[in-house]
Amino acid sequence: MATFFQQFITSLSVGGLYALLAVGYALIYSVFDFTNFAFGAVMMVSAFAGYFATEFGVGTLPAMLAAIAAGVLLSVVVELTAYRPMRKKNASRLFLMISAMGVNIFVTNLFLCLFGANLRTLPTGLSSNTIPLGSVQVGAIDLVALIVSLTALLILWGFLYKSRPGITVRASAIDMNTAGLMGINVNRVSLIVFVISGITAAIAGMFFGMKYTVYPAMGTISNKAFIASVIGGLGSLPGAVLGGFILGVLETLVSGYISATYRDFFSFLVMILVLMFMPNGLMGIGNQDKL
Amino acid sequence: MYLISVTITICTNIISVVGLALLTGYTGMFSLGHAGFMCIGAYTSVLVNRYFGVPYVLALLLGGCAAMLISVVLGYPTLRNKLRGDYFAICMLGFGTIVRLLLNNMNNPVFNGAFGISGIPKLTSLWSALLITAALVYFMWNFVHSQYGKNCVAIQQQEVAAEMMGVHIVKTKLLSLMISAFYCGVAGGLLAFWTQYIAPASFSDTKSNDFLATLVTGGTNSISGPLLAAALLTVMLEYLRFLVNWRLVLYGLLYVLIMRLRPEGIMGYREFSLRGTARFIRHLPTHIKNLPASSKAYLAKRRTGRRDKP
Repeated sequence: MATFFQQFITSLSVGGLYALLAVGYALIYSVFDFTNFAFGAVMMVSAFAGYFATEFGVGTLPAMLAAIAAGVLLSVVVELTAYRPMRKKNASRLFLMISAMGVNIFVTNLFLCLFGANLRTLPTGLSSNTIPLGSVQVGAIDLVALIVSLTALLILWGFLYKSRPGITVRASAIDMNTAGLMGINVNRVSLIVFVISGITAAIAGMFFGMKYTVYPAMGTISNKAFIASVIGGLGSLPGAVLGGFILGVLETLVSGYISATYRDFFSFLVMILVLMFMPNGLMGIGNQDKL
Repeated sequence: MYLISVTITICTNIISVVGLALLTGYTGMFSLGHAGFMCIGAYTSVLVNRYFGVPYVLALLLGGCAAMLISVVLGYPTLRNKLRGDYFAICMLGFGTIVRLLLNNMNNPVFNGAFGISGIPKLTSLWSALLITAALVYFMWNFVHSQYGKNCVAIQQQEVAAEMMGVHIVKTKLLSLMISAFYCGVAGGLLAFWTQYIAPASFSDTKSNDFLATLVTGGTNSISGPLLAAALLTVMLEYLRFLVNWRLVLYGLLYVLIMRLRPEGIMGYREFSLRGTARFIRHLPTHIKNLPASSKAYLAKRRTGRRDKP
């Protein structure tokens, strides 16, 4: 029972990070109707920024800020250079997807060529590795990651539902053209969305770097987040959070009780099953092209 | 010997890229997992040849059919109900990884896990490879210029309109996925019987990326464009060995640049023809003479275009 509880806390923390990433995907999908495949690269770059900041000798918190700055910067630059000109030309979704994938491949392999494929450890900056919680020992980093990601999700919810800029984002998600006609600055909305997704990618990237290691191919973790947002329903933010937690719990339990090698296999299988029986995901509405 | 090896590599690349051209170019579905189909094709054809003594050509066809079967299993849940292309993209991305993962962990004498299968008989020769490639390209040419191919283009251009005109969306998409998977499977078998050694690692994501880069460079709406691009890029990589590590960086940049500047690729919607080339060469002096004027006109258009914006 104690093992199960321990596993459960770990799975929740992984789930929280997946949820953060999935929200980053879902937000962009809901507004622009396309998948930002460059998201994994943003996450990787911000983890590297955090790593170099700690190498430089600053503490964990400033390193986190550096990571967020790098994530936001890259996310906005990608939007301005690769996506916005194409949206202006009314390019088809296929071309946008190829372009996004191009950014991902470019950034990932650039870092691979510049810094090598070595795994780098990111110090957690916590005094102890485990925290006793009742009868079980819980990883400190797991607990911190869970708390931080939940706080971030809460702040994001507050921003989207209670503040004026947040409401403009949600209006654009419903219908971008109408929102523009109603006097909403759509270009500013797109910047807000990419800034938010940069922040979520940076937080998740930092914690994945602390939990595991920092390396150029770590962007593939974000594919899991994409699977999570598909499970929850593409474009739905509550769905993304739910999908993230479901995937986190599933993965930890599979690697704990079945085999760590088949973890990816199971997450993929669950996605196929969800698509077979609930094509819109668990909480998605109207993701199909209606005729 | 070296030239033959390069030619056969070009042939396998051409087959896979032409298969992918139908799916991504003509039907408009994005896939980054086609190395997985190649992997399935290679393993199937090698295993049926080794354990059941199936002859060469039949083994290749069986490899293609196995890839086709898997593509139906994958494609049906993601393509039905008119789901968006994103579902299909992530499905293919996962699929490539899963195939490698499963084969890496099959530690029995048949599959031999991550070490792969070695000692495969060398059955592919230059002529058989060229003949198979020519046949497959010919079939694909006929397919995309037939009614089925036009249905695919209709879906890529306007899915809703295509459905209104009576094109069965799911059936057509699934058909083009099956055909492209078949092509990649055959290419995998062809490669396996030449290199005499296959391992899961030789069908990595990089290979899928290579295919897509070739397709995007060659033009997403022609057969001859990707065909030329496959030959050119393969030869280029042979000569620019030092670029091997940096080529993915370049590919990434290439995707973004081509999508921004010329999303239809080098050939665009045209096909390569001798007459067209002759005309192009004949008019080349005029093109060059007109270049300053046309670029000036382009810049002027851009400038006024900017001013028009609020």
